[in-house]
Formats: sequence, structure tokens, C-alpha cells
Amino acid sequence: MDTAVVAEGLEKRYDGTTALAGVTLSVERGEVFALIGPNGAGKTTLVRALTGTTEPDSGSARVLEAAPSAVDRDRLGVLPQSFSPPDRLTARELVAYYAGLYDDHRDPEAVLADVGLANADDTWYENLSGGQQRRVCVGTALVNDPDVLFLDEPTTGIDPAGRRTVWRLIEDLADSGTTVFLTTHDMAEAERLADRVGLLADGELVARGTPAGLVADHAGSSRLTIETPADQTAFEDLPFPTATRGSEVVVREVSPADIGRVVDYLEQRGIDYSGLSWAEPDLEDVYLELADETELERTDGTALARAGETA
Amino acid sequence: MSRLGRVRAETAAGWRAFVRRRTAVFFTFFFPVILIVIFGALIRTDPGGGGLFAEHPAYYVPGYLAVVVLFTPLSRLGSEVARHREGSRFEKLATTPQTRAEWLLAQTVVNAVIIGLASLLILALVVVLTGAEIVFSPLLVPYVLVGVVCFCGVGAMLGSYTDSQDGAVAASNAIGLPLLFLSETFVSLEQLPGWFEPLVNLSPLTYFARGVRAATDPNAATSAIAGVDPALANLGILAVLAVVFFALGARSIPTTD
Repeated sequence: MDTAVVAEGLEKRYDGTTALAGVTLSVERGEVFALIGPNGAGKTTLVRALTGTTEPDSGSARVLEAAPSAVDRDRLGVLPQSFSPPDRLTARELVAYYAGLYDDHRDPEAVLADVGLANADDTWYENLSGGQQRRVCVGTALVNDPDVLFLDEPTTGIDPAGRRTVWRLIEDLADSGTTVFLTTHDMAEAERLADRVGLLADGELVARGTPAGLVADHAGSSRLTIETPADQTAFEDLPFPTATRGSEVVVREVSPADIGRVVDYLEQRGIDYSGLSWAEPDLEDVYLELADETELERTDGTALARAGETA
Repeated sequence: MSRLGRVRAETAAGWRAFVRRRTAVFFTFFFPVILIVIFGALIRTDPGGGGLFAEHPAYYVPGYLAVVVLFTPLSRLGSEVARHREGSRFEKLATTPQTRAEWLLAQTVVNAVIIGLASLLILALVVVLTGAEIVFSPLLVPYVLVGVVCFCGVGAMLGSYTDSQDGAVAASNAIGLPLLFLSETFVSLEQLPGWFEPLVNLSPLTYFARGVRAATDPNAATSAIAGVDPALANLGILAVLAVVFFALGARSIPTTD
């Protein structure tokens, strides 16, 4: 496959804060690449560096074999994270407006249908619901039928049904050969849509791979979560590793066939519990495993700094 | 075709976005009207007397026109650019084929239509309420258009270099008010200290005022510039300034963060 997006050693700092610390990645043509990571990890900065709307301090990027600022704009579709179009236009007028900026553009009505707004009335953008607004914004990124599409948190604020509409749309685009680079906080979205996922934390790409590969490498085993007021010591005789998480005890390496053994254990010991849930490891576990480490380092650092201040 | 198409799309969107802000539309027309009513009809001019408004009514036509030719682009473009920045709209537009100059041109067209209509209203009111005797010179059209281009460029810079809509509006007022009164619009050069004249000559609005006065006021004593009719010469100077400020304004519009 040809490469659609390449970043090599991208670095960017803002007022002493490192947004990107040498990010290197590539996205093949027709691939859906999802970038996940905590708030402030540098996701939006990376999207901006790849779309030519910020200049990296060092490193280089190429999109469709050109520098981001020199890419043929007719082949690029971008949805910025905090994008808010003119608010006193209707959804139909907004899509038509952005379509009018391109020589070759799709029928605005078809775009509205794609984002689930075929029946949009004359309501101004400012009076649409948050989810409808975001769908209009997604539509404005599709009007030119781009070869490469950057979507920075496309489904934020969209209800579950609308989110699935956007997901199906992205899947259709990928099927037709569009390269999609998206950022998201929704792990289910990344797991469902992405061919590959990259995890960005503190400006560094700490993991990348297929969703299944990342889960296998980083998410650990299946888990049985027990909502219980009991202490972890009550589970010492259970033949599975356990850990306490708030008011829950998480039992690891439990197969579906072993659930009955755990329930019997609870009954025999008279341990109170109000809920029991079993789950296969997923991308969220990868996120919590890798991104939480940096989050913990950051919050521990803050706590230590505060302790130092008060000492 | 493509450049024209992009400007047309932007103009249509900008026009709709403006006319749907009823309060902004109302005050665009109401502000100059209230000034004419207060200064022209209530206070009245006092030809030959001392103090402010000592000239004949036609003298103030450029001043009343300047209220919209100067203020509307400064405040509208300033706040529009700031609004675009706050909504990441320039970030979005930077990834489309549209250029910054095309965007500014479209906004200028919207302003030109609005200000053209407001100017007609102002001229009618000045004649009716103050009894000004003026010549309806065809040069008024290019003066208003070129003035709008010039101050749209300045407004774009204000919006680009301030950090919010509030900041842009405050900056446009801070710059617009002194320019409005110190550019030979409402206060003649004779009423200002001699050392102030070079500063008056730095204001683009001065050339608008002198030129419009030369074109519309039969009693104006506007002097020729290098032997050229002042109505044309001032238009030429204003046009040069308009090109410069439009280019600077377009260049100031951010395409990156």
C-alpha cells in the first residue's frame, strides 16, 4: 500500500509545555488510523501539524506526498476539534457554503443525508442540538469527497444513534478508499473503526498497532468485577489474582466457566456483593494500562510538588 | 471561475450571517441617523460662529458618511475575524482552497453593500434635516467603495491582533473615535494646533473627507494636489492606502495557530 500520511520526529512546544515530543508514524492509503490519548496528550497538535495549521518546531510531515501546507486542498477534508461554523446559517446553508469553496464538490443534500440530517429544516446552527451541530461539522469535512480525511473528535456530543450513523459513514468512506485519521476518547469507536490505533501520552506515541494486537500486548486477561464492600483480604483464598479498584474487587484470569466458582466462593464465605460483571479485555484496558501510567506520574508529581510547597 | 465561486459562496454566507443579526443591522443604520439628528438637527451648525459645528451644513457630509465608512468595517471585520478565530473557522478555511484575500474580499463586498445603503440614507437625511446643499457627484460611489476596502483591511488587522471579540470591538472604538473627529471630518484643520496637521495627514480618513468634500460641497475650499483636481487626487491617495491596508489585513488573518 502507498503511504498517505507520514510524520517523522515531530516536535512542538508551547510556552515551555511539550505538546509533541518526536512523534513518528505513518498511515497507509485507505487505512483508518485512530489516535487516542488523555486530554492534553497532543492529539490536536498532531492533527494541526499534519494539516498544516501549525508549524512544528522540528521534524517533518508529508500528506499525499506533499508538505502539509502544500497539499492539494481539493483532496483534503478536515474537521478541527473546536470548530464552530457561522451560527446563523441553517445546516443546509452551511454545507452548501463549504461545498461552494471547492470546484468539484458533492451534492450538499447527499452530504446531509450521509450525516443523518436529510430532513434538516430551517433551524439555524446555533439552535440545533449539540449532536446535530457536530454532525453538520462532520458534513462540512466531507463536501469535497476528500482522499484524506482528518476528524478531530468527530462524535463528541453526538447521541448513540447518531454516533453509529457517523461510524457507518466513516466505514463507507474507508471502504471506498478514503484515508481517515481520527482522534477520539471513545475506545469503542477506535476499536470498531480503526485498522490501527496509536496511543499518544505526553506528546509521545507510546503504543501503536491493530486494536487486537494492542489488546493482546497490553490489556491483560479477562476480568470479573465484583461490587462489594468487602476488603481484598476476603478474597485471599481465591485461586485467581485480585485487585481493589474503589468499591470494586477485580478478579483476573477468570474464564466464563470459572464464574460459578467465584460465585460459590462468595456464597460460602458470606461475602456481600451487589453486582458482578465479566468482560474480555478491550482497548479501554490498554488505555488505562498505558495512559494511566503517565496520568499517575503527572498527578503524583503534582501531589509531591504540593507537599513540597506546604512542607 | 473557481476564485469567483469561492468569493461568491463566502459573500452569500457572510451576507446571510449579517442580516440575521437584527441588532447589528439596526444599529448600523441607527448610529449615523442618531448622530445626524443630534448634531445636524438639534445642535445645528453655526456658520461663521466659533466652536464646533461652525461650518455650513454641507461641510459635515464627509463626517456623517465616515461614521459608517469607518466604523462599520472596523467593528464588523474586527469582531468577525475574532469570531472566526474563536470558532477555529480560519483553521478550517486554511485547509480549503480559499485564500485569506478571498475571504477578506467577500467580507468587503458584504460591507460595501450595507454601507452603500446606509450612505444613501445618510445623504437623504443630511439634506432633509440639515438643509445641506450638496452635489450628488458620481465620485461618491468610488469613495465609499474604496473607503470600505481600506477600513475592512484595518478591521481585519484589529481582529487578528486582539485576543477576543470584546478586545476587537474595544480596539475599533479606540482607533475609530479619534480618527472620526481628527480627520477633517467634523473638526477643521484651523481648529486644531498647528503641530497636529502631520498627524491628520497620516489618517486615511482625511483623504476620504477631503475628497468627498471636494466632490460634493460646492463651497469647499479644498486645494488641488500637484495640480490634480482634489476630488480625483484624494481618491487616488485613498486607493493606494486601500490596497496597502487590504493587503496587510489579508496577510494578518491567521492560517495557523
